[in-house]
Amino acid sequence: MKPMLSTELNTPEVAVEKAKIEVKNLNFYYGQSKALKDINLSLPERSVTAFIGPSGCGKSTLLRVLNRIYELYPKQSAEGQVLLDGKNILDRSQDLNLLRTKIGMVFQKPTPFPMSIYENIAFGVRLYEKISKSEMDGRVEQALKRAALWTEVKDKLNASGLSLSGGQQQRLCIARTVAVKPEVILLDEPASALDPLSTAKIEELIDELQADYTIVIVTHNMQQAARVSKQTAFMYLGELVEFDRTEKIFTSPREKRTQDYITGRFG
Amino acid sequence: MAEHTVAAFDEDLGQISRLISDMGDLAGSMVGGATKALLNSDNALAQRVVSDDAIMDARQRELDDRAITLIAKRQPMADDLRHVVGSIRMAGDLERIGDLAKNIAKRVGTVGLSATPRDLSHSIDAMAQLVLIQVQGVVEEYAAGDAAALAKLRNDDERIDVKYTSVFRELLTYMMEDPRNITACTHLLFCAKNLERIGDHVTNIAENAYYVLTGTQLPANRPKQDETAMSAPAA
Repeated sequence: MKPMLSTELNTPEVAVEKAKIEVKNLNFYYGQSKALKDINLSLPERSVTAFIGPSGCGKSTLLRVLNRIYELYPKQSAEGQVLLDGKNILDRSQDLNLLRTKIGMVFQKPTPFPMSIYENIAFGVRLYEKISKSEMDGRVEQALKRAALWTEVKDKLNASGLSLSGGQQQRLCIARTVAVKPEVILLDEPASALDPLSTAKIEELIDELQADYTIVIVTHNMQQAARVSKQTAFMYLGELVEFDRTEKIFTSPREKRTQDYITGRFG
Repeated sequence: MAEHTVAAFDEDLGQISRLISDMGDLAGSMVGGATKALLNSDNALAQRVVSDDAIMDARQRELDDRAITLIAKRQPMADDLRHVVGSIRMAGDLERIGDLAKNIAKRVGTVGLSATPRDLSHSIDAMAQLVLIQVQGVVEEYAAGDAAALAKLRNDDERIDVKYTSVFRELLTYMMEDPRNITACTHLLFCAKNLERIGDHVTNIAENAYYVLTGTQLPANRPKQDETAMSAPAA
């Protein structure tokens, strides 16, 4: 009988046709504390990848490295390489504004700006492009349609973004992200504060968006990871323990630590 | 295996394991009882096997209920998920083994009343012993978590198929020798076929159990030696 458990770590079984993002020998530090330990993985283009693991395992940290948003905070540093289409985004010469138009991010708590629904989307577009009013109207409509929000808000585009429900606000944030035409979308617990119906809408949206975008989602909800992603990375104590096709991870993972976590046998 | 953080999860899984174990024991006792009743023309024992089938059915329904409830409540993953789904399938095969044993038991009266020499029944004695070893073995190996033994046990079904082919030929010969044997031999042929089918269900259980334990499937092909379809003796 073949051995069931591999002793090699960080050996992804995911067949990557074309990697959108390649993480190589990545280490990350909060001051002196090492939060990510020699992470290596390839995220396939136009596909959903989930990061799972207990609190403090480094999954959100890894997500925050992918668009260098960690640099907004002091004493945080990354070593190694994160290649976006083969170009290292950790390089000092990387234009951060350009990077963040290519890699959009949606957070756990919906964060609409205190302005109209229309302006929530137009604001970001204006930062990067000068386009006419009619072009902007089209862009706003397109973004809201992509985020499956258009039919619900098309008659109240001037209403405040804050007047929407939590689920609608989150979809507005996704519309805002999509409007600047990113290539990658990072989702940090995008549905954890939403009711089941809003969660289902977000998951349906993720399913549609993966045709055009590379999506990375961090979630504590394992059923959600199993439902929406094509490949799943399990992280623990700053290490990438196992990275594989999602159905493999959730039916017969190779690593005991993965198995213990997803079956609820941890700690 | 470490315990779940939620202790009730372990209890729920444990109840499903116990039901599979009970059904396995019952299947073994039904198959053993049915063949013993057949060989000894023991109608009382046959009757007990028939009534045991109702217990088997009730166990299967209980297992189905518990498994469905567990999936709804706890959303099992990985080995837990394989355990629950595998148990549902294994219970289906065990229940069918019970039905087939009951069918053998129901023929005991007719075979016993016939004018044919009772030792005709002994032609299937060796086959029944092989089947009984398989039924008892599969449940034991699963409980022991021995995947390699399950893979071997699955291949051992070949021996039952070979035996079935020889019983088939033997009974056919008796029928040709003396038409008065036909009624009893036909019933015995059904009994032999039932035993052969029980062997197939044991094979299914072994495959399921192997998957539950390892997360990988055994290869689809296994040796098959039932040649009765093309082995009618020349008249």
